[in-house]
Amino acid sequence: MTPVADAPAGAIYDIGYQRYEGARLGRRHAIWALYIHSLRSVFGIGRSLSSKVGPMGLAVIAFIPAIVRLGISAIVPEEIAPEEIGLFRPEGYYVMIEIVLAIFCAVVAPELVGRDQRTQTLTLYFSRALRRQDYALAKFAALTTGMLAITAIPQIMMFTGNSLAANNFFDYLQDKWTDLPAILGSAILLSCLISSISLVIAAQMPRRAYSTVGIIAAFLLTSIIAASIFEVVDQNIGRFVLLFSPFEVLEGLTLWFFDVAPDPDSQLAVANLPGAVYAIDAVLVTLLMLALLFRRYEKISP
Amino acid sequence: MASYGPPVYNWGAARFGPHAQPQDKNGSPGLTLIRTVGLTKRYGTVTALDGLDLELESGIIGLVGANGAGKSTLIKLLLGLVEPTSGLGEVMGRDVFSQGPELRQFVGYMPEHDCLPTDVSATEFVAHMAQISGLPRAAARERTAETLRHVGLFEERYREMRGYSTGMKQRVKLAQALVHDPQLMLLDEPTNGLDPEGREEMLRLIRRIGSEFGIAVILSSHLLSEIERVCDHLVEIEDGRLVRSVPMTVLTAPTHDLTVEVDSDGGQLADRLREHGVTVSSNGRFLLLQQEDDALLDLIRDSVVDLGLGLVRLEQGRRRLEELFQPQATLEDEDDSRG
Repeated sequence: MTPVADAPAGAIYDIGYQRYEGARLGRRHAIWALYIHSLRSVFGIGRSLSSKVGPMGLAVIAFIPAIVRLGISAIVPEEIAPEEIGLFRPEGYYVMIEIVLAIFCAVVAPELVGRDQRTQTLTLYFSRALRRQDYALAKFAALTTGMLAITAIPQIMMFTGNSLAANNFFDYLQDKWTDLPAILGSAILLSCLISSISLVIAAQMPRRAYSTVGIIAAFLLTSIIAASIFEVVDQNIGRFVLLFSPFEVLEGLTLWFFDVAPDPDSQLAVANLPGAVYAIDAVLVTLLMLALLFRRYEKISP
Repeated sequence: MASYGPPVYNWGAARFGPHAQPQDKNGSPGLTLIRTVGLTKRYGTVTALDGLDLELESGIIGLVGANGAGKSTLIKLLLGLVEPTSGLGEVMGRDVFSQGPELRQFVGYMPEHDCLPTDVSATEFVAHMAQISGLPRAAARERTAETLRHVGLFEERYREMRGYSTGMKQRVKLAQALVHDPQLMLLDEPTNGLDPEGREEMLRLIRRIGSEFGIAVILSSHLLSEIERVCDHLVEIEDGRLVRSVPMTVLTAPTHDLTVEVDSDGGQLADRLREHGVTVSSNGRFLLLQQEDDALLDLIRDSVVDLGLGLVRLEQGRRRLEELFQPQATLEDEDDSRG
């Protein structure tokens, strides 16, 4: 037997092909892996620098009011009553950043689903341990999670900032703890609503330029058209037109969650629909969009 | 989810691996790799596949047919990518459509068309695809490194794929189909767009996958020479119907042609053979003979020794697939084996 010391050092051995005898974790793992991969893609993580600029930049913009609030509470504590400043009221936050949310989706959704169609990578996903609906569901969950990150987290930061700026931290928590479920509930619903609409448009239009424009148009034009119709038709019918405007629905459901009346001059106040209607509308539209998304992937030719 | 356990298809390794057995432990014939019964796919009024009845055992199977014959449709049906209009399709005993995700953990697919994202590295992409096939993250990374080495991608695997040549892209496509150690690989025109050298390497790799790695392969190609070189079984489809499904040995059976090459001028040998009534024609350095019986082989040996020549080559001719696929060709031999 050759002594070990005599063996040539640094030799490279071709050990041949190794069969894989380990665990195969199936469909659930595949969905989870696709979800994580897609969530990273939402913020351009694991991609080139240029892929990060858009989503990261918009995410930062969405955080600015919360950062400002925290800054004020750190520099001049107890000087300004937080709830007196409209900017820092939680029920107004989403309305303030709604255009940022729309642009965020317009940038991210085409990358998230359109890219796999453009490069025909979709075929490879469908020929693995996934069903077509699983693909759609993982993408929807990823974009919704990304949206939650830029809606709920700044709100929670603001809540923290406001509570730290209050005269008594614990009294503030006791008075305002109901804001937390309202923050989460409204963030979840509006994230589902906006991301599902964006994904349906992006999945229908694989070309990035078209889908980006399509998504922005879907949010802005529907709001403008709904507002215009609302002004000219009979209010008994016209007030339901607001349910076709994602931005009005977003505001309506947020106010309902925070149990706050709309501005008396606003169309929401004129329409005078029960707040729950906007929340229900958001759920129904999300379900409809998901059904359309599933149908799209059911029909798409791999 | 106990049904996702790996032992279900272990027959693959047993049949092909280093300890390959032609039969299982019970002595019964090998399990069926693919079974279709009346498999039909229609797109509107167009029938892409028409009542296909097929039963294949594992091996390297060539799928041939003209463009539009139904090859790609068959592959997509076997992957569960499209739903059959009617009929049954099973791969390794599992229904391709109702048990698709479970089955596809053990199947690798390399499509004909481009399918790679440009802005990620081969390593990232292949590891991700391994996870989507059900492998845990750590195992996916480990196998990715190994698989990319097998297909011949080294330092470049860390670069974004946008700058890859066609050959490198084909290797990545093959790697993503291989990374999860499937028991069946479906390769759709894998040599498309490759230069002659790249084509050779790809075919060598496919042959190695089928024989050494122990993975059943279905290779779709319109190039008969590739099928002939790599495959041991041939399935031909035309207009969505099965034309033949036969072992390659039947199609490329020996002929009576004999090629002889000696180390110097073959004229002397030709004359000597003609003296014994043998019909000899010359093709450059080679002599072409018609072998009626084994006595001719003895005569050649003796003549070469008598003339003091060196025998370089003595080769029996085989039928070539190209000849068989000529419209006027007779196919009586394989008709008996048609299945």
